[in-house]
Amino acid sequence: MNLPQTHARTEADRAVEVNLSINGSDVALALPARVTLSDALRDHLGLTGTHVGCEHGICGMCTVLVDGEAARACLLFAVQLDGAEITTVEGLGKPDQLHPLQESFGRHHGLQCGFCTPGFLMSSYDLLTHEPEVQREDLPTELSGVLCRCTGYRNIVDAVDEVAQAHRGALPGPANCGQRTLVGRTTATAATSAAVGAERTDEEELVERPQEIVLPAGDPTIHVDVTSQLTSAPDEVARVFGDVRLLARCLPGAELTDDLGADWYRGRARIALGPMRMAFNGIAHIEEQSDERIVMKGQGKDTGGGGAQARIVMTAAAADDGGTVLQAEADVFLTGRIAGFGRSLAGDVSRRMFQEFARAVDRAASGEEPTTDAQPPRAFSLLVATIVDRARQRLRRLTSRGESRR
Amino acid sequence: MKAAPFAYVRPGTTADVVAELSRDGSKVIAGGQSLVPVLAMRLGRPTQLVDINAVPELRQLARDDGSLRVGATVRQRQLQREEIGAAVPLVRLALPWVGHREIRSRGTVCGSIAHADPSAELPAVAACLEATMVLTGGRGTRQVAAADFFTGALSTVIEPDELLSEVIFPVAKPGDGFGFGEFARRHGDFALAGVAVRVRTSGESVDARLTCFGVSDVPVSVDVSPHLRSALQMTGPQPSRADLVSALAEHTEEVAEDVVSTGGDSHASPAYRRRLISALAAREVSRAYVSARLSRPEERS
Repeated sequence: MNLPQTHARTEADRAVEVNLSINGSDVALALPARVTLSDALRDHLGLTGTHVGCEHGICGMCTVLVDGEAARACLLFAVQLDGAEITTVEGLGKPDQLHPLQESFGRHHGLQCGFCTPGFLMSSYDLLTHEPEVQREDLPTELSGVLCRCTGYRNIVDAVDEVAQAHRGALPGPANCGQRTLVGRTTATAATSAAVGAERTDEEELVERPQEIVLPAGDPTIHVDVTSQLTSAPDEVARVFGDVRLLARCLPGAELTDDLGADWYRGRARIALGPMRMAFNGIAHIEEQSDERIVMKGQGKDTGGGGAQARIVMTAAAADDGGTVLQAEADVFLTGRIAGFGRSLAGDVSRRMFQEFARAVDRAASGEEPTTDAQPPRAFSLLVATIVDRARQRLRRLTSRGESRR
Repeated sequence: MKAAPFAYVRPGTTADVVAELSRDGSKVIAGGQSLVPVLAMRLGRPTQLVDINAVPELRQLARDDGSLRVGATVRQRQLQREEIGAAVPLVRLALPWVGHREIRSRGTVCGSIAHADPSAELPAVAACLEATMVLTGGRGTRQVAAADFFTGALSTVIEPDELLSEVIFPVAKPGDGFGFGEFARRHGDFALAGVAVRVRTSGESVDARLTCFGVSDVPVSVDVSPHLRSALQMTGPQPSRADLVSALAEHTEEVAEDVVSTGGDSHASPAYRRRLISALAAREVSRAYVSARLSRPEERS
């Protein structure tokens, strides 16, 4: 355990600064001293995987690792943890690469409602790393720091026992730790350290133009790779590629508001998804622009406190039929409430957006107005299209006659 | 379940801690595992918390001259894990009963003793071992014996501007043996009743000290040497543990009669607590005696 820095007396109504490393990301917070770690994680950093049950140290829902040891996040004031390394359930595994404990909980049905699951995962991770030789008969006592009210203990013990036996002394570490931007309901800067204020600010604010847009390390929240066949000829598409304003109008919901010079632009994007309405104010930098290739980076802030950063590469190539093959590849990093939306559906929605974009480019290339619809992409139709798409894919797989996806 | 607002300070020296404690309404926080629930339920509303975790000297965990000195920010789990903790076997026996792993990661040994919950394990251990509490205040440092330290439920002789800076436990000698047991509705809960035992054997002499907790507002220590000696007269000096438990059970009921002074609550009546103490005392005095004999050099050969 690291020795924390000393801290001068701070009055009850003032915020105390605290530096933490959370799942490998350095975070600087300013919080009232009475804010618990569990509230800091959930409300100020958007990490809602840590659940809160009793809030006085009985139920174990909020169990996280502090400097590698399990502790109850509701019994710790965040300001006490200056310099500490915190690991939450979000750091344990990735959606497509779960930790062995997560796999095992799934396999053994070690959960019903799932509310206690983050607590059990972190408690059992701590147990198996510190006491790798633990025997099955000791598990009920050793896991007694977390309560399950769905009577799921037998399956939980089965799940932990299987991992204990499979990984004696060699339990894989948390797989989803790395430098990334954490943003909760409060403001944060998008660079490597997120400075989060104690109070939320809902006002639209202009994103400052940075020296450079730095994408977070680690895997993107969404990776999109869409290839579309356009009927327009390559030289017509090149005309669109050469006109940033026209190109922006092809993007559903996007609006270019300011040309900052030197290939930097300011813009707005509105996206509506189901009950969610997001308005991004952002900034984009075109790093490379030629007739057949555009590379750009962008970052934006949602007025609700979320954030997005992306690197987009678009290439146009001549097709055999005289048309153009347009390929769009994007790495999108989401934070805040949209990140919690679910990677899979968010990915599908992004894919649909690029397909709409490709159609708009096709129209623009042939001299038409790129978007007939000046409204933001309507949530309902986007969602319906996404779901219809999925149903079709499933149907194709079922009939097993499907052509390989383009 | 959110604590009321409080001012916060994290000094870097014991002197600065003590200076901050002289402000009215100040309270020390180390691991916070007893204090934070109190604040969350707003049973306590200190105006200032003095976080002692940045004071390097309060982290010391060291052995000297037959004693183990445990600093104010030494975590319970640290004492459980580090080799040096084996010098005080009774603490090692008791720690697994303190809350859960998740609590012991942050909870401190000194904090539990300073909190002085009548049902807590570590105050009973300190009382049984006759540990020494080191209190640091503006007027200097004083040492208080465990017997004088606990004054009532959640009450000790610590003055508001004093810090329990360390606890000094005597290191076990050859011929010493220990026992610890408690009964709680669920593991990790505060005990309905529990016992800590130290037996000392040397040549032909046998001494036994029993400390009971959860049965009064402070840990209650009893010299049970006469009871152990008369049980050994029935069984002979090398009894099996089961035989010794039976022989001791004749006497422990009478001991339990005297130590239980708490009224009944929804969990247990005084009579039930007496039965628990009687059974736990017979079992743990017997365990302590057998392990005391095994710890003697001549018995090991």
